[in-house]
Formats: sequence, C-alpha cells, structure tokens
Amino acid sequence: MLRRRLGISFWLAIAWLALMAFVALFAPILPLTDPTQVAFGGPRESPSLDAWFGTDALGRDVFSRTMHGARISLAVGGFAIAFGMLIGGGLGILAGYFRGLLDQTVRFAFFVLLSFPALVLAILITATLERSLLVVSLTIGILAVAPVGLLSRASTLVFAEREFVAAARVLGARHGRIIMRELLPNVVIPMGALALLGMAIAVVAEGSLAFLGLSVAGDDSISWGKMIVDGSGLRDLQNAAHVALFPVLVMFVTVLALNFAGDRIRQHFDVKELAF
Amino acid sequence: MRFLARRLLLLVAVLLAVTFCGFSAMNLLGDPLTNVVGVLAELDCDAIAAGTAPDTTVDAASSDCDTVAAARAQYHLDRAVPMRYLLWLGDLAIGDFGTSFQNDQPVSAVLREKLPETLLLLVMAQIVSLGIAVPWGVIAAYKANRAFDRGSTVASFGLLSVPNFALGVILLYLLALRWQIFPSAYESGDFTSRLFSLILPALTLGLPLAASYQRLLRTDLITTLQEDYVHMARAKGLPPMRIMFRHALRPSMFSVVTVFGVSTGTLIGGSLIVERIFGIPGIGREIVTAVVRDDFPVVLAIVMVVAIAFVVLNFLVDLLYSWLDPRVRTS
Repeated sequence: MLRRRLGISFWLAIAWLALMAFVALFAPILPLTDPTQVAFGGPRESPSLDAWFGTDALGRDVFSRTMHGARISLAVGGFAIAFGMLIGGGLGILAGYFRGLLDQTVRFAFFVLLSFPALVLAILITATLERSLLVVSLTIGILAVAPVGLLSRASTLVFAEREFVAAARVLGARHGRIIMRELLPNVVIPMGALALLGMAIAVVAEGSLAFLGLSVAGDDSISWGKMIVDGSGLRDLQNAAHVALFPVLVMFVTVLALNFAGDRIRQHFDVKELAF
Repeated sequence: MRFLARRLLLLVAVLLAVTFCGFSAMNLLGDPLTNVVGVLAELDCDAIAAGTAPDTTVDAASSDCDTVAAARAQYHLDRAVPMRYLLWLGDLAIGDFGTSFQNDQPVSAVLREKLPETLLLLVMAQIVSLGIAVPWGVIAAYKANRAFDRGSTVASFGLLSVPNFALGVILLYLLALRWQIFPSAYESGDFTSRLFSLILPALTLGLPLAASYQRLLRTDLITTLQEDYVHMARAKGLPPMRIMFRHALRPSMFSVVTVFGVSTGTLIGGSLIVERIFGIPGIGREIVTAVVRDDFPVVLAIVMVVAIAFVVLNFLVDLLYSWLDPRVRTS
C-alpha cells in the first residue's frame, strides 16, 4: 500500500498557522507593547530591536499591532467559514438527499447569492448594519453559504446513490438517521479539507472590507486590512514603507499557509476508490 | 430554441430575485428614513399631532413632521416594502434610479459619469490578464513538468495568495514610488494619459487572474497536445509554435471561457479596492463613499447595476459556451 506523506512544507504551514492562532488568542497577555499606545517611539521609525517592525505615523509599534491584528482577521475568518459550513453544508445535504422542490428552491437561492459579486454583497449588508465583529463575521459567512452548499449538495448526490444508503433505507432507517449516520460522515471529510481554503478566502474578504473602511468599526479594533490601508498613503509608502509592508507580509504568509495546507489536505484525502 | 427559452426564463427569474433581495436588504436591514431626514426620523409624529408630545414646542415639531411626511411620500417610504419594490422597479425600467440623498443629483447622472471609468479598468484588466496568461500557459504546457513549469506553478500559487489590496500596495510601492515607471495616481487628462495611468491598476487586478487562467489553460493544453491530430501535425513536420497557436490553442480555451464570466465578478470586487488605492473616479470609489455617507439610492443603484451586469454577462458566457460546445445544449 502506498503511504501518503504530507511533507515538511505542509507541517511548516501548519506550524505558522498554529503560531498565528496562538498569538491571536493570547495577544493581550503576551509581553507585547500596547498596540494603541501613541508615540511608543518616534513617528515612522525604521525597524529596530525595540520595535521589530518599526513604528507607524503616530509612533505606534507596528509589530504589536500586526500581532493584535491577527485577532480580528482570524476570528472573522474562522467564524465565517464555520457559519458557511453549518448553513450551506446543511442545506446542501438536505437538498441533495430529498431532491424535488426543496432541491430546486435551494439551488435557486444559491444561484441568486452567487449572482452578486462577493464584495458587493458584503458591502450591501455592512452598509446597512452596525459594523460589529458579529455582523462582519456573519456577512462573510453568508458569502460562504452558496459555494459550500453547492459542494455538499454535489457530494451528497453521489453518496445518496450508494449501496450502503440503499441498505440503510431497506432496513427501515428514518431520513434523519440516514442523513446523520450515513451521509454526514462521508460528506464532511471533503468539506473539512476545504475549510482551510475557505478560511483563506474569508481572511482576504475581511481584509478587503477593512481596507475599504467597512470592517469592524472602532478605533481600538486593529485588523491587517486596516493597517495596510493606513500605511499605504503616498507619504507613508514613500518614507516608511515598512508600516504597510510588514502587515502585507504577515497576511500573505498566513493566506499562503492556509491555501497550501488546504490544498495538501485535499490531495491527501482525494482517495480514488477502487471499483469492485 | 427550447434551450434558449429556458435560459431566458431563468435569466428573468434570477434578475427579479437579485433585485428584490438587494432592495429588501437595503430597506429592511437599515432605516432609509433615518438616512434622508437624520434624527428627525425619531420624532413621534402621531403623538405630536394628537398634542400629547412631552416636551417639544408644538410649532417647531409640527414643521419637522411635515418634512418627515414629505420625505416619506417622496421616497414611497409610506408603502410596504413589496409595493415600494414594484414602484422602484417601474422607475428603473425607464432609467430613473432616484435622487442621491447627499446632493440632490439624479443617481443616473452619477452612474453615467463613473461607470465608463470602471468599465475601462475592467476591460484593461481582462486584456492584461489574457495577454499574460496565454503565452505563460503555452510555454508552461510546452515545457510541462520541467523547471519552468514547476517554477510557474509555485509563482501562480503565490500570486493567488496575495490579497489584491496587498498586491496593489506592493506594485504602487515598487513601480510607482521606487522605480517611478508608472504614475502613482489616476490622471484625468487626454485618453492616452488616462490609459497609461490605468496600467498599474489593471496589472493589480490582472495578475492574480492571469495566474488562474494560466493554470486552466496549461491543464487543457496538455490534454489537447496528446490528441491524434496534434501528433499528425507534428509528424507532418510543422513547427511547434505553429502547432501550438493554430491547432492546439483554440480547442483548449473552454475552461478559460467558462471562468471568464465568474472572474469578472472577482474583478468587480477587486476594482472597488484598486480604485481606492489609485484614486480612480469609478463606481467602486463612489459606492464606498456612498456607504460611509448612508447615501441609500446611490448604494442601491450601484449594487443593482453591478449585479444585473454580472448576471447578464454570465448568461452570455453560458450561451457562448453552448455555441462552442454543442454537447452542453442537450444536457
């Protein structure tokens, strides 16, 4: 039997993600400087031993801000994809299993959701509501519903035709039992692999909203997108490019790690089943 | 014909559903009245009319109430949401998008002014990405699994992981500020200087797209290159590049055509960001300003125009695809 290995680069990606998750969880109690402290150093200081990533126009510590920025980015990303999986995945399984009118309605709803360019739909929702952490997470979660739903519907369709499902039905299992015990475990695996890929998209989406000033409101809410837009004025870029480029770098590595790890997991579980 | 009729029906249904969802989201999630009249929306006009209002002087309050009532009537806010939607749809059909809350300008005038800039940017982005992706994909497929191909796989994976606002900032920093090849902001002069200043934004939008096109094209080309007629052409002694471009490229474009429509949606989202970075006066910058100012008719109009254009474009791509590949029609 062929042993599948995930490779060292996969574990590097996972290690980076774990580090980011750790920093995001414990940022307030880690020995970091206060990210909102104005004039921690002089304005626009280059990276040094005191401030590893330098300071921004207000003299705040860019390193500490970048680490704190992981909180909103990852929280929104994680919550959004969980929401998408729960609602989209659930609807997809129901539609794929029961077919008929339910299926058509759900598919039409997904189609309508996908008919809005994603960022425009996000703006439509955030435009009208108070931009709290919950609202932003939910908004991006709604964006995830249709793609995740279509995927879970498609794989439900495949498994619902299989013999073990037919066998369960013949044995007199109820719909609920078939869905929970027979279909769900099979559908969850391919979807779980996509959770990381989806989270990468969600993190970028939050960054985009933050970049436009439409993510979580409030001066003390730090996120990577907001830091990048704050540091990308022409004067900042000209004289102190590090203010924008360090958050860009950390965000890029995080998104890359999510994409890479997700892709590897997908390949790892993409078992070509033998046809008997 | 039946295929076309069914598709058209679906198009109309989706357009109605999309506009209705957008309209009710704007109307139900927020309070349009607050956006027109501000704090006056809080007034309890019934109580004032009945003379039971607690503290306000009756004169000032009742004139405020007139303002509120006028605004309600003007924007049909006294009707139920479905009725308001129908009225709005009727206005839309004759090209009336309403009036901006902020500066009494008709929204259609705003659109007419801003839309061409965004369209130009989108077209340029698609041209840039295809211009990069086709040669890139062809060389990668020609050198499949060799150093260049492996390198380009890594490069496209990396490009797809850069958020476009980050890419925009990096390109702005390198190409406009460091090496000063391109202008750092939009220049509204004659057409050529406009085009020139749009190159950097188009590159920001086009590069990640080129990476995804390249992946698709490479995969399809590798399959096509194993067809018998390609072997035949090779056996005839045709030069490799002629085989590539005359024989293999066209039948390998299906996947790229398929994602062309969808990718435009990504581009529209990206253009909101890029317009902000480079200060392009298009609808992307307009909608963000409108959101911040709670300018409800402008936000709604831009969302609708974009969504409708996106739906219609995908419909056309669908038709184009079924024309290219007749098997789609029967399934």
